[in-house]
Amino acid sequence: MPAHVPNAGLSRRDLLKRTGGLAALAALTAACGGNTGRPSSSGGGGGGAKANLSQWYHQYGETGTQQAAQRYAKAYPDANVAVQWTPGDYDAKLASGLLSSKGPDVFEGHFNIAMVKSNQVVPLDDIMADVKDDFQPGDLATNTLDGKIYGIRMIIDPQVIYYRKSLLDKAGIKPPETIDDLISAAKELTTNKVKGIFVGNDGGNVMGGPALYSSGGEYLTKDNKPGFTDARAAQAFGKLHELYASKSILLGAPTDWWDPTAINQGLVAMQFIGMWAVPGMQKALGDDIGVIPFPKLDAQAQPAVYSGGWTQFVSAKSPNIDAAKKFVKWLWIDKSDYQEDWSLNYGFHIPPRKSLAAKASKLQSGVAADTVKLTQDHGYTDNPAWTPKMNTAFGDMLTNVIKKGADPAAEIAKAEKTVNAELSRLFG
Amino acid sequence: MAVSERTTGTPQPIGFSRSPWGRIGMVLRWIALFIAVVLFLLPFYLILRNALSTEADITAPSWTLFPNHLQWGNISELFNDTQVPMARALYNSAVVGVLGTAGQLLLASMAGYGLARIPYRHADKIFYAIVATLMIPAAVTFIPSFIVVSSLGWVSSLRGLIIPTLFSGFAAFLFRQYFLGFPKELEEAARVDGAGHFGVFWRIVVPNSLPFFAALAAITFIGNWNSFLWPLVIGQDSSSWTIQVAMSTFVTAQTINIHELFMAVAVSIVPLVLIFAFLQRYLIQGVTQSGIKD
Amino acid sequence: MSAPTKTPSAADSVTTGERRRPRRRRQKGIAGNTLWFWVFVGPFVLGLLVFSYLPIIWSLILSFFEAYNTATPSKFVGLQNYVDMLKDHNFISSLGTFTIFAVFIVPLTFALSLALALLVNQVKIARAFFRSVFFLPTACSYVVASLIWRLSIFNGVRFGLANTVLGWLGIDNIAWLSTVSPPWYWLPLVTVRLWLQLGFYMILFIAGLQRISPTLYEAAYVDGAKPGWQVFRYITLPQLRATSVAVLILNLIAAYQAFDEFYNLIGNVNYARPPLVYLYSISLGSIQDLGHGSAGALILAVIIMIVTLLQGRILGFGRAGD
Repeated sequence: MPAHVPNAGLSRRDLLKRTGGLAALAALTAACGGNTGRPSSSGGGGGGAKANLSQWYHQYGETGTQQAAQRYAKAYPDANVAVQWTPGDYDAKLASGLLSSKGPDVFEGHFNIAMVKSNQVVPLDDIMADVKDDFQPGDLATNTLDGKIYGIRMIIDPQVIYYRKSLLDKAGIKPPETIDDLISAAKELTTNKVKGIFVGNDGGNVMGGPALYSSGGEYLTKDNKPGFTDARAAQAFGKLHELYASKSILLGAPTDWWDPTAINQGLVAMQFIGMWAVPGMQKALGDDIGVIPFPKLDAQAQPAVYSGGWTQFVSAKSPNIDAAKKFVKWLWIDKSDYQEDWSLNYGFHIPPRKSLAAKASKLQSGVAADTVKLTQDHGYTDNPAWTPKMNTAFGDMLTNVIKKGADPAAEIAKAEKTVNAELSRLFG
Repeated sequence: MAVSERTTGTPQPIGFSRSPWGRIGMVLRWIALFIAVVLFLLPFYLILRNALSTEADITAPSWTLFPNHLQWGNISELFNDTQVPMARALYNSAVVGVLGTAGQLLLASMAGYGLARIPYRHADKIFYAIVATLMIPAAVTFIPSFIVVSSLGWVSSLRGLIIPTLFSGFAAFLFRQYFLGFPKELEEAARVDGAGHFGVFWRIVVPNSLPFFAALAAITFIGNWNSFLWPLVIGQDSSSWTIQVAMSTFVTAQTINIHELFMAVAVSIVPLVLIFAFLQRYLIQGVTQSGIKD
Repeated sequence: MSAPTKTPSAADSVTTGERRRPRRRRQKGIAGNTLWFWVFVGPFVLGLLVFSYLPIIWSLILSFFEAYNTATPSKFVGLQNYVDMLKDHNFISSLGTFTIFAVFIVPLTFALSLALALLVNQVKIARAFFRSVFFLPTACSYVVASLIWRLSIFNGVRFGLANTVLGWLGIDNIAWLSTVSPPWYWLPLVTVRLWLQLGFYMILFIAGLQRISPTLYEAAYVDGAKPGWQVFRYITLPQLRATSVAVLILNLIAAYQAFDEFYNLIGNVNYARPPLVYLYSISLGSIQDLGHGSAGALILAVIIMIVTLLQGRILGFGRAGD
């Protein structure tokens, strides 16, 4: 009894066609094979073969940086290092990358406690041991948790306010020393072609941190409690709203605050930006640049300079952690010529190594030297316990206060709730 | 006037043309049309203008209607810019567009045919299971889809860009409905000659449905070329960016060259405008037949 | 095998003729049909399982766990993520943003695309030209349109088109995308979507208009109906019902999933952030909170389904494509 007989119409030709179709589908799959152009970071373990490492950078604005990064990577003898240069929202891309199985072995970023809790980074105490003293205490602290160092500072980026000396002189204004001075200076410098100051297309969120510190507050206190909740902080944030409401800030520029185009093109008289932009500004404006720190709230307080920058980490998910650590040590601790090149030849950054910073001739004159001095006097660094979620809540508060004119105390209370929830999640 | 319009033979809603304003109404309507045309073509004018200008032309304090010297050099500037992976992104978009469209149509048409024409006990249940996925808005599953795809190791790869998008419940639904209405006589004739399901599908049904396929192909290709959220999520590495992701990324980059970016925009819409020019008829047919775009 | 059993054989079919044939084919066909069914439908179903059902289920599971920076569930928290999301003022405000957006876009799209359809349908010359012009923007992506809007039309500085026009009228520059009061950012956000999709819905309406039989109108005039608004309201609009329903439902579902233009035009700001942008920022941004993100995504999915069903019930589902 013939059991199942294939449909009478199934001839050999049809069978070929059917398998042909499946083969085509298989070819489709194969053709789209992984072709990221990066060497796979798996394998290459022991056995003498050179390890393959992938190193992620964000997209630096200065020309020549990508080539330099690739140059350093190529010069490394003990592994094949592939550089991924990431434009756009680097934080988001990095976060997704660390989540997937195709993330970096070595990457730059900003340290926070979530990276340790989620096991994303490895401690680097062993390679840092000999050179710890050559780093600024603030940079060490900002990358340390529970006594272990997790990252190596690559560059220091102070953020200050640069202004056009000629425009201030013409209007007869002295460089502002308090926040109120800043607000009135911006108002006076605003004409119908030029705005007083550019602080970002979002109205000034980037100045929220400096404003907080200039009122004497801080993100988190030494015992990890919210440090932004008192009345003076509320006052400082209110001043930011005042600045926004005075209509003397530039909004809707094609690029954001980190790009000096606005001040270079004469759209504004002052701009909040980092020292990285100084060479570009000098090219466009020559000597017509002066610098002030974010001004103090009042006589009781101090001005504030956010001393940011970028830090190098080794991914805990990397299959080649030892090789990665060796590379990081080679580039960011041993090769001082590369470090100097990176810090000074593409935009200005303060070299994190004290020894390098001391002999950096480019930073010893002009507005760059002024900026360095301001950083030494008034600089503050990030608190590692400040997580991205807290930062988002803080940012929301700033947006509501600055743009919507909401009551600072009420908004601070909202942010405080989120921050406290995060703190109890992290510290119990 | 309205009478003469009707006697041209084409069925037209009388609507406004019988407006009590008569002649003036006609003039007003033409003015409205003219304004609408200007507004709709304005962005294309901007693309052309900016793509062929220098940065100074664009940012000048007074509006330059059109650059005095057409900067065709912007094209080579764009493709030589090492920060913008233009050629690679175009290639990725082309691969995603062609392979993705072909794959989607293949899978959906076969599924639709199977559901419409092959008797199977559980066919209805399978059909409802497919339709059920339409109820979950596609964009809401991008988070877990990313998780699944990344655990397959397909992040930053063309595989990851194409394969998850090949299974369009909507296309399968459309094909099923379409095949249900396909003239059975043609299929029966082939079966009498001994053709099986495969033969009937490939030798009879598909060749006689080419306009429908063309319409869906055009719509699907445009959708794939223009899609943004999924390529954004999957494209970690810049070598796996599609053209949409590349353009979007350069807006948030450290510096913007507006003329370069608009040249990129101009280049990116060329294939679609071409499809438009040649396949507009099918596109419109497809839209009216399906009532939905992607 | 020529014994007269229930299973007809080849011999039977020849001798007993036509009536036997269908049954034979069906019986033998059943086993063959199952195989063929799965040949045709199988790959598709497999893909759907892996790339639609699996993610949904995984997301559902993950939504009951605490998941930061990880996609593997480890710490069970029950419904806490859902509660958190429903109490999250950012999430709620994103739903509000979407609602305002829908209130703008759905009626405007409906009215304007219908108006365009009526206009285009009534011209005698160059109708194809007009139709093409209005339909052409669908060839552009949201990314492309957002870039044009953001950098060249509605940027806040003096060389944007909108501000240039304002300058001719003697008005100051407006920072379109950054100004919260008055909320000017709605203008670019709504117009970009209108530009992109009016042509598409216009085509739908034109098809619907052309299906209306002219005898209806003639009968109406014979009955003394006044031309213009009356005819439109009592003849044209009701005849367009099926198309109108399709347009409204499609429009609303698309508006719920607005992401591309918000992401590219205005970014992640807390005052104009639709649900998808918010969910993207908390799951795949720097916060990497996949537990809450998954919960939020499922809440959103449920809301969309409910609204679609409600809308269908209220308006009555037209046949797809009418």
